[in-house]
Amino acid sequence: MNVLEISGLEKRFGEKQVLRGVDLVVPEKKVYGFVGRNGAGKTTTMKVILGLLAADAGEVTVCGEKAHYGNTKTNRFIGYLPDVPEYYGFMTPMEYLRFCGEISGLAAKEIGPRSEKLLRLVGLGGEKHRIKGFSRGMKQRLGIAQALLGRPRLLICDEPTSALDPLGRKEILDVLVAAKEETTILFSTHVLSDVEHICDEMALLNDGKIVMQGSIEEVKSKRRGSATEIQLEHPEDAKLLTEAFGGVCAEARARADAEAQGDLRTNAGAIELLQAERPDTLLLKDADRLPEVLRFLADHKIAFVRIEKQEATLEDIFLDVLRSEKA
Amino acid sequence: MKAFMKKEWMEMTRTGRLLILGILFTIFGIMNPAIAKLTPWMMEMMRDSIAQSGLQLGEVTVNAMTSWTQFYKNAPMTLLVIVLMSSGVLTNEYQSGTLIQVVTKGLSRKKVMLSKMIVVYGSWTALYLLYFGITYGYTEYYWGEDKVEKLPEGVAFYWLFGVFVLALLLLFSTIAENGGQVLMGTGGVIAAAFFANYIPKIQKFLPLRLMDGLQLTMGSQEIKDFIPAMICCGVSIIACGMISIVLFDRRRL
Repeated sequence: MNVLEISGLEKRFGEKQVLRGVDLVVPEKKVYGFVGRNGAGKTTTMKVILGLLAADAGEVTVCGEKAHYGNTKTNRFIGYLPDVPEYYGFMTPMEYLRFCGEISGLAAKEIGPRSEKLLRLVGLGGEKHRIKGFSRGMKQRLGIAQALLGRPRLLICDEPTSALDPLGRKEILDVLVAAKEETTILFSTHVLSDVEHICDEMALLNDGKIVMQGSIEEVKSKRRGSATEIQLEHPEDAKLLTEAFGGVCAEARARADAEAQGDLRTNAGAIELLQAERPDTLLLKDADRLPEVLRFLADHKIAFVRIEKQEATLEDIFLDVLRSEKA
Repeated sequence: MKAFMKKEWMEMTRTGRLLILGILFTIFGIMNPAIAKLTPWMMEMMRDSIAQSGLQLGEVTVNAMTSWTQFYKNAPMTLLVIVLMSSGVLTNEYQSGTLIQVVTKGLSRKKVMLSKMIVVYGSWTALYLLYFGITYGYTEYYWGEDKVEKLPEGVAFYWLFGVFVLALLLLFSTIAENGGQVLMGTGGVIAAAFFANYIPKIQKFLPLRLMDGLQLTMGSQEIKDFIPAMICCGVSIIACGMISIVLFDRRRL
């Protein structure tokens, strides 16, 4: 069963078209990473799901029911953590959770124990102070507790880790991993390492469209699996290789970088320089030509430091996709 | 909805809003009989300087009527205070984003709006009763033997006018972005009503008439003179309430 289905979602703010037909399916009991740059439309999508914004076109279905703008019943399935959660500062965390429990219609005798359990889970167990003086990390953690309170089938977290220090980030990710037992999580971020750590599936939103989606392994295997890095001992040898294999030499690469043309790989030869500032490292895109390259290295007595198959990180994939989109 | 009302109560008490309002309304309440009581004494103090300017001052007599005249003079101040203190009742929550969690938790927007209405009208009613009660107590104590006609009716009219102003305030709260806009909208309508008051034909329908409770007590007007304004006021309050609920349902939080 799919907890969330979005099809053809469009939204425009005045002149600016923010969403251009977003399609997204989130299956049950998964941690789903919703990745995109700042301004890609992540928060807008989430607000439409919650009925906080009206869509111009498209449909959102939560647990089989259609969501709509304004007072939407589907919110009873959802726990929501906004990017900057705000609370009534005059309450203590326990009072706030009690308040949330009561308005969401949780059974009175259940609220107390459940609130205590969640506050312990997020590390706010013995906190007796009012929320007014809380740090950002503490507010985020309280936000997760309040979002999980009603046992939602879908937990929506809008950039829960973006504004936190590394320790605070790790704490939030741990809490989310723990929450995975109970619910499906849709979690937006631009921090890709977070996605690699905790997500099962992901979608990449760029310029109001989903440009890639699938499980983390699928996404990783789609791109650059076969590239090999060759680091030479003497940078001047790089020219020999690039000339022999028709790649891009250092000057051209530097020029391309300066002109911000992005990727040259699409129209260059088999070997090219990885980065202009690292003149000793080359990238071989086509794995089939590796024996040929090794023979060339042996014949010309070129010394190398390492030859290594490149492990695609989400960061690379992200940049790749953004570049090809731009082109 | 009970939970949301409880939150409102907690907010009023813990942020000190209730305390401030309570103190202000108590001061206003005491001022009415106090000014009446002090008038002869102040006149006595100034008798010489007034005499020097060539005016002859007769014997100044004060009674319960003096106190109630003060009551009606200060009533707009009490209303102004509650309007100022309530102008952020919804807009503060929009600005801080606190309502987002509330509505995404499944509390219907209608209940949020109804709770806000109960809180605003409830605090006006309670504080106005306090203001009236204090003036009444002292006036009875000092001038108990004076008979004052149709006092409760006149006082109730003013209360109804207060509810009307607050209904406007809540209506503007559903469309405005901040407290300033709420005050501008509410003030704008009241100002428009004051201009409309120059047109004799519609005068008697305007809620502004309900501020003239003193005329009733002084006997220069009858209850039936207030009925058209009362009906108009009641209809406006209900209409404002219904429009507020509809608008709040569609509002972007």
